[in-house]
Amino acid sequence: MSDYLWDKRGEPDEEARRLESLLGSLRSRRGAPDIPSGLSRPPLRLWPLVAVAAIVLLALSVTWSRLPQASGGRWQVTWLEGTTWSDIRVVRETSVGAGEWVETGASRARLAVGDIGEVQLDPSTRVALVDTGQRDHRLSLARGRMHATIWAPPGQFYVETPAAVAVDLGCRYSLEVAADGSGILRVEAGWVGIEHGGRLALVPAGAIADTRTGTGPGTPHYEDASSGFDRALDVVDFGGAGAARREALAVVLSEARERDALSLWHLLTRTTGEDRGRVHDRLAALVPAPAGVTREGILRGDRAMLEAWWAELGLGSAEFWRSWTSPWTER
Amino acid sequence: MGSEHAPAMDDLAGHASTPPATLESQLVEAARAGDRMAFGRLYDRFAPMIHGLLLARVPYAEVDDLVHDVFLQAIRRLGSLRRAESFGAWLAAIARNRARDHFRRRADTVDLPDDLVAAPEPDGQALEVLGAIKQLPEAYRDTLILRLVEGLTGPEIAERTGLTHGSVRVNLHRGMQMLRDALGGSAKP
Repeated sequence: MSDYLWDKRGEPDEEARRLESLLGSLRSRRGAPDIPSGLSRPPLRLWPLVAVAAIVLLALSVTWSRLPQASGGRWQVTWLEGTTWSDIRVVRETSVGAGEWVETGASRARLAVGDIGEVQLDPSTRVALVDTGQRDHRLSLARGRMHATIWAPPGQFYVETPAAVAVDLGCRYSLEVAADGSGILRVEAGWVGIEHGGRLALVPAGAIADTRTGTGPGTPHYEDASSGFDRALDVVDFGGAGAARREALAVVLSEARERDALSLWHLLTRTTGEDRGRVHDRLAALVPAPAGVTREGILRGDRAMLEAWWAELGLGSAEFWRSWTSPWTER
Repeated sequence: MGSEHAPAMDDLAGHASTPPATLESQLVEAARAGDRMAFGRLYDRFAPMIHGLLLARVPYAEVDDLVHDVFLQAIRRLGSLRRAESFGAWLAAIARNRARDHFRRRADTVDLPDDLVAAPEPDGQALEVLGAIKQLPEAYRDTLILRLVEGLTGPEIAERTGLTHGSVRVNLHRGMQMLRDALGGSAKP
């Protein structure tokens, strides 16, 4: 491997140098354009407000028709061939509007999400455009796998799946749906909220959340959690009630690391009674509850206390999460 | 999941953990506040990347104008960029969209002014090699153009695009091999 090609150091690569010299004539010599006055403005700090709007829309999405309905222009679809995303070639470009499907088959496709981001579709993926920006930017992922990169402020891009609805909170993530409608959300950067029937999961970078039709999102957990933790959490989330769930919860609690406070905090709202008490005790051992947060308050589902504890987890502003936890009424 | 989601120029985004305020982030914030000098420095830093990405997608004679279009579009939309550290990725996406739009709008032509000064005619051999590079898969095509035309080093390409060093290395060396093959066993045009 030529070091010269990499960083122009080491043994000169004559071929690379000759091509550099030849192709250097194509380089731009132009300076920056003049900026018309009044074009740039300080950014609006709307994060908390947008998040509030996002959660309201997310809650409404439970009853939202899944049929593509509104129109907001058409999105560019770039059809690609190649065995991996690093080895792709553009085959053709088309466009798609609300109410229309994109099915990749053996190909791959890149979908421009208006001007707020991009979605890459793996082979054997089927998505419908529900809204292309009139109310929000919304896809329906029926099956397959998509990778989304969204650079707009949070709460503008939604993906409906058979099991749950995901809302982007400014990030990059993958979402996969199997033939039976179950799925998995994997967040690579930023945050994603995913919800079904009032059951919410807030998934940060490095974490995943499984989804099941009829149940919604499982408890978010970091990918580097132990396999025992992972398996037991699956039972807690989707294994029904009874002794098996209680035993699985014991495994989750015993295997939890400080970093897994993310999962335990979510479990506070997914357990009741004695089980909630056990989750409280383990979470308190990993991340002590702040002043004013009591066991009794957590057991009765005091929302303000849940928020206060969240703020101790080092996962982000409590102010921001307040908007997200608002539907989690005391229970 | 995601194991084959190998890096291409499209795999560009910020990261979840909050990085220290980089020079790039500071420049973006200053440009947002209307600092033209900061915008000029962003232009100097990213114009080669944008020029390269456009050169891979549209005819040579039209690239310089489109580079300006991309930056003007960017300054108008800076308020919508939430993560300043994602500026490069965001700008690259604008460039790709602008390239697509360019082909859609080509039918809408206008008469050129009489006093238009033509850009210097490029070397014919250079265009021939460029044509061969443009036939390569996207990831290799973009990386090779940034290296051989724009003169960026591998680490600079990685820094501007958000790709890992390993990915850029792979793209450079595989791309160069494919270019050699395309040019008939040697990279000589």
